[in-house]
Amino acid sequence: MIRNYLKIAWRNIRKQKFYAILNILGLTIGMTCCFLIFMYVRFELSYDTFHKQGDHIYRVVTDVKTPTELIESGITSMPMGPNINADFPEVKACVRILQDDMLVLAGENKYHESKVLVADSGFFSMFSFPLIRGDIKRVLAEPFSLVLSESKAKKYFGNADPIGKTLEVEGKKYTMKVTGIMKDIPENSHLPFDMVVSMTTASKGLGVDLENSWGNFGAMTYLLLEPGADATKLERKLPDFMERHVGKMMKTSNMYYTLHLERLKDVYMTSKKTAPVKGSVTNVYIFSFIALFIMLIAVINFVNLATARATERAREVGVRKAVGAYEGQLTLQFLCETLVLALVAFVLSLVLCQLLLPAFNMLSGKEIARYIFANAAVIWFFLIAVATGLLAGIYPAVVLSSYKPVVVLKGAFSSSTKGLFLRQGLVILQFAITIILIAGVLIVYHQLTYMQEKDLGFKKEQQLVIELRGIEKKEDKWVNIKQEILQMPGVTGVTLSSSIPSREHSSAYSKMEMKSGEMQASNIDVYFVDFDFIKQYGIKVIAGRDISGQMGTDSTRAMLVNEATVKSLGYSKPEDIVGKRFSQWGRDGKVVGVVKNFNYHSLRDDIHPLTIRFEPGSFELVTIGVRPEQAKKVVAGVESLYNRYAPDGRFEYFFVDDAFNRQYGNEERFGRLVLTATLLAISLAVLGLLGLISYIVIQRTKEIGIRKVLGASVGSILFLLSKDFLKLVLIALLIAMPLSWYLMYQWLQEFAYRINIHWSVFLLAGALALIIAFLAMSLQTVRAALSNPVRSLRTE
Amino acid sequence: MIQLKHVSKHYPVGFGKHEILNDIDLTIFEGEFVSIMGPSGSGKSTLLHILGLLEEPSRGEYLFEGESVHKMNEKKRTQLHRGAIGFVFQAYHLIDELTVYENIETPLLYKNVPASERKSRVADVLDRFNIVAKKDLFPNQLSGGQQQLVGIARAIVAEPRVILADEPTGNLHSDQAKEIMELFKLLNEKDKITIIQVTHSDVNAAYGHRIIQIRDGKIA
Repeated sequence: MIRNYLKIAWRNIRKQKFYAILNILGLTIGMTCCFLIFMYVRFELSYDTFHKQGDHIYRVVTDVKTPTELIESGITSMPMGPNINADFPEVKACVRILQDDMLVLAGENKYHESKVLVADSGFFSMFSFPLIRGDIKRVLAEPFSLVLSESKAKKYFGNADPIGKTLEVEGKKYTMKVTGIMKDIPENSHLPFDMVVSMTTASKGLGVDLENSWGNFGAMTYLLLEPGADATKLERKLPDFMERHVGKMMKTSNMYYTLHLERLKDVYMTSKKTAPVKGSVTNVYIFSFIALFIMLIAVINFVNLATARATERAREVGVRKAVGAYEGQLTLQFLCETLVLALVAFVLSLVLCQLLLPAFNMLSGKEIARYIFANAAVIWFFLIAVATGLLAGIYPAVVLSSYKPVVVLKGAFSSSTKGLFLRQGLVILQFAITIILIAGVLIVYHQLTYMQEKDLGFKKEQQLVIELRGIEKKEDKWVNIKQEILQMPGVTGVTLSSSIPSREHSSAYSKMEMKSGEMQASNIDVYFVDFDFIKQYGIKVIAGRDISGQMGTDSTRAMLVNEATVKSLGYSKPEDIVGKRFSQWGRDGKVVGVVKNFNYHSLRDDIHPLTIRFEPGSFELVTIGVRPEQAKKVVAGVESLYNRYAPDGRFEYFFVDDAFNRQYGNEERFGRLVLTATLLAISLAVLGLLGLISYIVIQRTKEIGIRKVLGASVGSILFLLSKDFLKLVLIALLIAMPLSWYLMYQWLQEFAYRINIHWSVFLLAGALALIIAFLAMSLQTVRAALSNPVRSLRTE
Repeated sequence: MIQLKHVSKHYPVGFGKHEILNDIDLTIFEGEFVSIMGPSGSGKSTLLHILGLLEEPSRGEYLFEGESVHKMNEKKRTQLHRGAIGFVFQAYHLIDELTVYENIETPLLYKNVPASERKSRVADVLDRFNIVAKKDLFPNQLSGGQQQLVGIARAIVAEPRVILADEPTGNLHSDQAKEIMELFKLLNEKDKITIIQVTHSDVNAAYGHRIIQIRDGKIA
């Protein structure tokens, strides 16, 4: 029986090549898209699931409450973790991790290693990052121990055995001994790293006090709980714990810490706190929906075409019933046909997926998979394909097999209005989805352009930046460097600072005078800059004055603050804060001026309170204003100067505007993905429309002929054929508008600085959909309208 | 074998109804060859459809071999279809996508006849109707008469007790028609199959043992 079904299915496919190709093409596109997104979502959800003890690992995070604000932080201070471990028996182990980067010397070459962790010795016991060489308990015990990934070991030591060998780090300042080799870290780890340095390097080796600075945040802390221990119970005991250890300190500083525990699995995806690599739940949802949408469009195409063409199969149904078929058998037969199509599409999709995988990896910015067959997901794909086939086939199959043989066999049965309503509904749904996607793309790109072009409150163009890393931290040296660069042709200005917008910056435990006269302690963002920074970056001083080398006391006793600081301390006017006291990192003095807020983070984030002081010991970067036509020469000049001052260093440079825009890599990738999905959705909708209209044109050939004989113009026939569909597109627009407004409004909430959604976006999206629909239909309608009526009438 | 008691059929039209059959009483015995005649729209096709279980009467009772049809469930009725009744249509109604062989085989498939038996039975019928050479052709490659031959072959392959034929020769010219009617006669006499045919032609009607005239939904 099944063989008979398959035979019929195959003959039908061959007989109706145009529709079969249309259907298979649609399903293939839908499935390919769905499969790729499925892999992406699966990958995103797989983060940190490979740790064997993962269910018992928790990250400690901190909420810091000051009188004016609540800072949610993904990190802790150094003593918190070990003390929790000591105080609570249900905590089995604690590992603290710092992120770092290193300049590594290897013979003549210098490499900047950006993915370095500093970790407690229990690191490899807690997490399942397998060691290839070295003792799991000993590798991170001694100061200056270093564990390398397999590929880094190869990079530095080739095929030689690296264990016991040493690497010179930070311009021969330190010597690290390789104690272990680990497997390369999988991409789905929220901790990306190539090297791990022992925590004892900082404590014993460099004599940094890790055990007593409760207010100094920096470490990510992970706890391993005993099996069966209840994390919620432990979390409830933590306020007491904090009170016991630092109650007094919290009270005097007026900063209160609340600790929370997060499951390791939640760190990457659902946590609101920061992490080295962070996923986005919104994106996972959006992509899942897009996959669903595209699949839906493909399925709708199928259902529409199948029901519209149902009459062609009606007679067969009648005959089969007359010779004794059950309705169920017929349903099964039609389902079989759809499944054959779905499976053909499935096979094509697998091939396409494999071909597109490299491009998709690029598009998504990470290597999700190299081979689809290496992935257990293929089983899922098969199930998805079968489900698609069933979903697409069930309605047409039920409709077809329900035909009454008498009605059909009498021959009075010509065209059916049955399912017309449904068909129209589905076309509306299709176009609503398409319009939502088009509007989405427009809004995403609008937001991207907005972020790239918004006035950030500082000058980012033609600012070349180099790192001072590797140069001895001596003030006179830096004065010389600055002078030398200033004299180069093409240089318009030079300034040194601890950070620049888009770069990480420190925050400092500071006390600031509030309106009430009390000193308020808080962790506040800090920039340390020389006297030319504000001028060169074009940052506006809106109250008081800029810091200046002319004023003798400015080098130690003056501070600039931004508007956000003014607000957070409760002042209503910027003028009011000028002359107020501060105490920060051992310096005391007064606020001398207020700068206008500038976006030193990406536009996703709000502007936080920021203080700016002169502190040459903290300078890390040199910003060089350059004339664009001489930029190349300046870079070359600066490089040779750098190499003179830092023979062991590694010259690196970038431009501020590039660095700032690079922060939007994620958004750009997101935009590209949505754009691709939209193009696919549009092409699917067009395919569907093409199928429907071509069928309708065939059905109405005679009518068109008669109308032409009666004197209808080509235009009026085009209108006649298109108007029903265009009406549907208009209804779709009405449905899509509020939905897409809501969805994109939600997406925009992730940005502190965002565009307002203008109604014209929807108009544009709707117009685009209309034009596309019209053009797609024209392919068929124009031919029908131009055809010679004599021929179409003679066929009757 | 077949007994209709006070059978009526009407369709709703607007607020009223359109009477097609009105209080029909009819008995057909096993082995009969009955011709139903009447002008267009008189309800003869509807009567045939009711006999063939393709339509249900609005009122009245239909007994098939003494059993009341409207009390049967869908499954029983389909079984009756499969085992007892064969259809022959004016427009042949072969399945275009299937070959001659496959068309004839279809009723056996639905009857779950094992493959080997299917093969021999289809072969028998092909042989008997002299269409072995055409078994791999598709319906559109055959002439009208040949198509109807296949239609009849399909109707009898499942060895029905009744063949219902709705103007079986309506689309054929007289030579072909004669051939088909001879075949019916043979099936009736030799195979003892009860045959009920609807026809316009007096010549064809004369092949039957009995002619039933229908006018305005009533047996005249």
